[in-house]
Amino acid sequence: MKPGNQVPPGGRREARFEREPARRVFAVELREARHQFRDGTEEKSPTYVMLPTGQRANRVFVVGTMTEKQKQGEQHSFYRVRVVDPTGTTFISAGNYQPEAMQQIARIEPPAFVAVVGKPNVFEAPDGGGVYVSLRAESVTVVDRETRDLWILDASRVTLDRIDAFGTTEDSKRAAEEYRIDPALFRRAVTDALAQIEL
Amino acid sequence: MDLSIIAERISQKIHSKGKDVDQKQIEAKLRLLVDEFGVQPAEAERTVISELGREYHVQGLAGAVETDRRAIAELVPEEWVTIEGKVVGLSVPNSPSIAQTGIIADASGAVRFVVWAKAGAPTLEQGRWYRVESGVVDEFRRAVNLKIHSGTTVTPIETDQPLLPSVTTVEGLKPGVASVRVRMVQEWEARSERILQTGIVGDPSGTIKFTIWKEEGWEPLAPETVYDIYYATVDEYNGRLSLVLNSGTVVPDEGAELEVGAGGQEFRGAIVHVGQGSGLVKRCPVEGCNRVLSRQNYCPIHEIQPEFRYDLRIKAVLDDGTATKNVLMQRETTEKTAGITLDEAIEIAENSPLGMDEVFLRVQAAVMGRYLDCRGREMDTTVLITEADWHRFDSAALAALMDRAGGGA
Repeated sequence: MKPGNQVPPGGRREARFEREPARRVFAVELREARHQFRDGTEEKSPTYVMLPTGQRANRVFVVGTMTEKQKQGEQHSFYRVRVVDPTGTTFISAGNYQPEAMQQIARIEPPAFVAVVGKPNVFEAPDGGGVYVSLRAESVTVVDRETRDLWILDASRVTLDRIDAFGTTEDSKRAAEEYRIDPALFRRAVTDALAQIEL
Repeated sequence: MDLSIIAERISQKIHSKGKDVDQKQIEAKLRLLVDEFGVQPAEAERTVISELGREYHVQGLAGAVETDRRAIAELVPEEWVTIEGKVVGLSVPNSPSIAQTGIIADASGAVRFVVWAKAGAPTLEQGRWYRVESGVVDEFRRAVNLKIHSGTTVTPIETDQPLLPSVTTVEGLKPGVASVRVRMVQEWEARSERILQTGIVGDPSGTIKFTIWKEEGWEPLAPETVYDIYYATVDEYNGRLSLVLNSGTVVPDEGAELEVGAGGQEFRGAIVHVGQGSGLVKRCPVEGCNRVLSRQNYCPIHEIQPEFRYDLRIKAVLDDGTATKNVLMQRETTEKTAGITLDEAIEIAENSPLGMDEVFLRVQAAVMGRYLDCRGREMDTTVLITEADWHRFDSAALAALMDRAGGGA
């Protein structure tokens, strides 16, 4: 249990489970994430990916354009999906353990605006092709352009918040040790993203 | 701690009931509890008294324990207490083991009471003041109530102090008994023959559902009229509060005006999860039950119910990027946000090969990933949504962010 969880007065109800919030991250930042860690020592302790702007993410929410979906693996057991936002591409996967997301992806024909909720993972490509980050999808659904625009505003605001708070929070101090990227670089990504909203 | 004094007190109490117990034996029981088990002397006294009461078949002993006099508003469950209050309401008990039920109030608040038939207490009269010694406070459906049992002493008292009910705001209501000043806002169609009227009342802090059961002397509330409602019962059901007026008194304040606020808090965020049990559900038709039935029309309490009622709802997670809230939308908000009416949903479920799953998928497709602005009340772990609107794009927000992003570049 995380601190902050509490048993309501009376104690008869089950202890409150606090769901991890879904962080809004532009593709250009997510793809730079490398540091993955477990908070706690138990098997079920949550794992996080540290964002270069200095916030841990156990879950991510992105809205963008699904440009491609591909069945992969033996028996076509999982989907690989590319979702593009104004700053780059986020890789999404959904396997047999995410049946709901797989079925949702099956019904979507790219290109389409989609909202994706998923868990970030850092992988090392087996052929020495470097490290990459992908989201294991919990949900992939079609949304409209307005929702996409709202997400760009939302992701811009929180990215700027993280940049402004850099160096003042525990997570951002940790990020400063793990990464050699100046978080201020992502400010440029925010400007570019905002510029792509068509009025 | 000299336990012999307590032992003597207990011994005398039992003696007064015509039985004799060795005082040494009593003291040994006390010593065991206090010295060996670290029990507080007052609690040990209570334990020994109740044990001996059972052993010697004597009743009315527990009243021997001195209990603290409390303000009614401060009663907490699992305590023995003494209160002084005025009986402001009496109702018909629904069990032969109960002699009387009603509401007793002091200046701090009011509480429901139950007099067990076995308590041997005098019959309480409406409008009179009583001192209730060693009553037991417990909790039923999160409402505190006061039990008058065989160990409780009830004595009428004379007082000339006028009793002014303590009036709370709608937002401050919690399960139990309460007085409010509200305006009748909306009348609903009654779902039962036994209901005289049901609907919504509100004050500047918010609104709440009310019910008046058909009983002699009750008339429906008039729309838009302001009422002082004294000693209504506040029930909690499915995390939602409602007022039952029959336990109390309703006084119209003709011509008065009262602003009614939306109540609750604002919540914003994206819908990141739509839970099972969203969409079309079947509810148990048994009066007052309303539970969601399983796919096989099974109610956990009333078993198979083929005459179910359909309902529409969304159970979802709203996430603002920093924290998440479980939210529950009932029929009206679900129809609005998912863009589907209950009748349409029923038609889809009855005609689609996927049945109710098809409705779930449509509702999910309509709301997932979208940004919602809503108002609601937080109950335990869930926010009950009363008003919801899709968040709209605002070019001023875009301009402000452009400035902010550019400012530091």
